[in-house]
Amino acid sequence: MLGVDHLTVQYGSHTALEDATVRFEAGQFSAVIGPNGAGKSTLLKTMVGLLPDPGGSVRFDAGHTAQSCVSYVPQQQTLDWGFPVTVWDVAMMGRTGRLGWLRWPSKTDRERVVAALKETGVYELRGRHIGALSGGQRQRVLLARMLARDGHLLLLDEPLTGVDAATQEQLMGLLRAQADRGRAVVMVTHDLEQARRWCDHLVLVNRRIIADGTPDEVYTPRNIEATFSSSHLGHTHAEA
Amino acid sequence: MDWLTDPLQFGFFVRALLAVVLVSVLCALVGAWVVLRGLSYIGDAMSHAVFPGIVGAFLAGGNLLVGALVAAVLTALGIGAVGRQSGLKQDSAIGIVFVGMFALGVVMLSRAPTFTTDLSNFLIGNPLGVTPADLWGALAVTLVVGTILTAMQKELLLASFDPTEARAIGLPVRRLESLLLILIGLVVVLTVQLVGTTLSVSLLITSSASARLLSRSLRNMIGLAALLGTLGGVTGLYLSYYLNTAPGATIVLVNTALFGLALALRKRD
Repeated sequence: MLGVDHLTVQYGSHTALEDATVRFEAGQFSAVIGPNGAGKSTLLKTMVGLLPDPGGSVRFDAGHTAQSCVSYVPQQQTLDWGFPVTVWDVAMMGRTGRLGWLRWPSKTDRERVVAALKETGVYELRGRHIGALSGGQRQRVLLARMLARDGHLLLLDEPLTGVDAATQEQLMGLLRAQADRGRAVVMVTHDLEQARRWCDHLVLVNRRIIADGTPDEVYTPRNIEATFSSSHLGHTHAEA
Repeated sequence: MDWLTDPLQFGFFVRALLAVVLVSVLCALVGAWVVLRGLSYIGDAMSHAVFPGIVGAFLAGGNLLVGALVAAVLTALGIGAVGRQSGLKQDSAIGIVFVGMFALGVVMLSRAPTFTTDLSNFLIGNPLGVTPADLWGALAVTLVVGTILTAMQKELLLASFDPTEARAIGLPVRRLESLLLILIGLVVVLTVQLVGTTLSVSLLITSSASARLLSRSLRNMIGLAALLGTLGGVTGLYLSYYLNTAPGATIVLVNTALFGLALALRKRD
């Protein structure tokens, strides 16, 4: 589906990500895991094409481009929830790219939005202002927008932040189902336990790719130590 | 009801009413984006930044409105370019470009042989001095701006609510921003000429901000802003007629009071 090769991203003199090579496949639910500042979001943003001129390359399989197939769900707190839009409006934004300029939503577009809102369980809230929603409901609305977009590759940046435990499980089930339907789902998280239970592909990141494989292959004390221990952070820093 | 119909026997009062209503609708269309995108500073800035265009047109004997429009487009593109090249925040970019443009206008004016009332009317504006030609011009601009904004609504909405997603799906976010700045410039030039700087800023920002407090969708917000602007405009004009006060400033005060009311209403929710 999508691969990055020898990707290095620098912000000024700071190296956010170094020589990262990883592939994400259709039908897989992947989790990109690491501590704060490990370069997880950077990896995601590079794949969507949000960072200009990264070192290395991002390759989509034949027939796909970032703009044609990627649905990106940003971190919830980066959005302005006082914005005057309803739940329906946000879900309909998922159709903007497919519609193209000067086109109004057709019956198909509205049907897609209805289906997405029902699937994420916020159809009843469609007329509400987004500011009136709980954290879990907000995340569901963002997922509805993602589903309405109908992309093959779903990228989610910390989708479980600010979401209660019961909703977290439902959302994970929903994402799992998307992967089972043949989409590639990639989620950035720092919750290793949750990722281990739901995902079939884990990528541990701390400025470089520490480990990449099935949960059984990746979930070893050594890898976890290498990803999350502060002594390791100091080590890579010295290398950089 | 005489108090209501009495002022209507004056042509200038009727034209002022029509101008205030038209300008309220026009400002509501653009003001929604100004408030949502945090561009409130731009209304004030634009009204100053078009100065060299007006002076240039005046010195060259051309149409003042066209001169102002050229300056507005240059300012909009200049703000975008300065922001991109320098990496500074947009308020800094706006500040740098607008004082530079304004100063250019002042320098140009100091070289001018005469300063006529023509020019000062254009700069300060007065709703009671509106001519029928002004009204037709305002109607045309309202239709053009309204059509463009409606056509681009879903793109502008996504680019404003979630610029990251907008860029991810390949929308030209920066060009949309430049287009918006140009439209804002166009509206500011027109409204400043019709009703003066303070009132144009008030209609662009105060009414839209009041509407935002009470709205749950963009359509609500634009409609309510137009309604509040019209209400404030008509009330303010009548007040100024009977209290014998400056019309523009009176309308601004009514709009400010309406904002206070909106704030109070929302808090009670």
